[in-house]
Amino acid sequence: MSRLLELKDFHYSYGNIHVVKGIDLYVDEGEIITLIGANGAGKTTTMQSISGLTAAGGVRGEILFEGKPIQKHSGHEITKRGLCQVLEGRHIFSQLTVLENLETGAYLRKNKKEVRADIQRMYKLFPRLEERKDQMGGTLSGGEQQMLAIARAMVAKPKLLLLDEPSLGLAPLIVKEIFEAIKAIRETGTTILFVEQNSKIALNTADRGYVMQTGEIILHDTCENLMNNEQVQKAYMGVD
Amino acid sequence: MLLQILVSGFVLGCVYGLIALGYSLIYKSSGLMNFVQGDVLTLGAFLGYTFFSVLGMPYWLALICTIAVAFAFGMCMERFVIRKLLSRGVLAIYIVLATIAIQYILQNTIQAIWSTKMLSYPQIFSIPSVKIGGVMVQCESIFCIIMSFLSMFGLQAFMKYTRFGTAMRASAMDAKAAQACGINTSLSTGISWGLAAGMAALAGILLGPIYGVFIMLGSTIGRKGFAAAIMGGYGNMYGAILGGILLGVVETMVAGYLSSTYKDMIAYALLLLFLFVKPTGIFNERAITE
Repeated sequence: MSRLLELKDFHYSYGNIHVVKGIDLYVDEGEIITLIGANGAGKTTTMQSISGLTAAGGVRGEILFEGKPIQKHSGHEITKRGLCQVLEGRHIFSQLTVLENLETGAYLRKNKKEVRADIQRMYKLFPRLEERKDQMGGTLSGGEQQMLAIARAMVAKPKLLLLDEPSLGLAPLIVKEIFEAIKAIRETGTTILFVEQNSKIALNTADRGYVMQTGEIILHDTCENLMNNEQVQKAYMGVD
Repeated sequence: MLLQILVSGFVLGCVYGLIALGYSLIYKSSGLMNFVQGDVLTLGAFLGYTFFSVLGMPYWLALICTIAVAFAFGMCMERFVIRKLLSRGVLAIYIVLATIAIQYILQNTIQAIWSTKMLSYPQIFSIPSVKIGGVMVQCESIFCIIMSFLSMFGLQAFMKYTRFGTAMRASAMDAKAAQACGINTSLSTGISWGLAAGMAALAGILLGPIYGVFIMLGSTIGRKGFAAAIMGGYGNMYGAILGGILLGVVETMVAGYLSSTYKDMIAYALLLLFLFVKPTGIFNERAITE
């Protein structure tokens, strides 16, 4: 297994506010990794920095993708290298149709035939998107928008898929559906790193997990061990 | 009489429409207003004059060169002024003020290069006018209307049906998500500013042969184009065109049937009326609340 992503002593500051305080994290090819933690722990900042979507001036430390530093690159260049993110809050193009949203996801790909085949594959994974393919993105329900956001990132054919809070604001049944899809995507060989507030579902889905608290990683272990960890049970899973 | 008024109303309206389209493009892509638009029209008229009658280029080549220079000007302005200010966290209102500063700098530069004298284009077409429905219509007017419509629909088609146009719309809607899709959002913003300037310069080179070329040619038109953009629904492309034509026709009607003394008064009263009754414009664009 080769190392796909590695963060080495990564810091992030918004002006004087130091939100990520030197974390180390890695993702190997074929893995599915979760980053859990409470609100404001710095998870989204970390995710968006990996994708080059935060102001580059705030970054210290190294982010390596396939062994090469990417912390100075802008967002679209990082996507070009095969690292795609499903943003927190979905960020659907509300005035583009579902199909246009998907085509925009495949913006960098040249082979139209392959793109069409991949869009069909996503329709199979999320049949509701096909039913609504001519509808504007903004008219979809929250769950459908999340599906579209995942499908849009997948048609870019990423080597590493980043998901930020895929369960945010969704009904439990839809959450289950979304996580089934994430598992299915993993089965096809895409490596995944995701942030999730619902620790239970996160630890049940991932291979390894990182626990983040006020800008630091306080625990790192296999999900099995984390689930049995008293501290995790108390702080994140509501077990007394 | 009516037909003649309608033709000149349409000429003026199309020019307003081109300017308004530029305002819309920039608003959509950057959420800003660019008050240089009117003076880029002046620049276009002078550049076109220089290419066509001083350097002796064929009119079509002068047209292309003028648009190209203005496009480059728009892109440079975005890259070296607007984006620099934005990255320093300057408030939007100050950036709008910066565009007003650039407006005066440009106006003065044009004056320094070409002097304040009024220039007139030599005749462009071999026949000066054609007879339509019993009235003589200047060929340049017909050309202005046709070219405006072609470029408006061309822009619309580009935005809607091309991969890059869709990408530009996407980055205007959600820059972060567009970046995550691999779209170079700063490039697409720059191109929006370039296109806006290109449209304004096109309006200039179309209008120059009809109105003559002088230093203040674009300043009132720039303001009227802004009014047209609001009436159509600020940020909406179809609205920009329709608002422009509405304003142009109303203004020429007033000038023709009442007196040209009242035309600006009535045009701006119409704008105020829109702001009170239908601030979202004809096309219901929620520019203000978004």
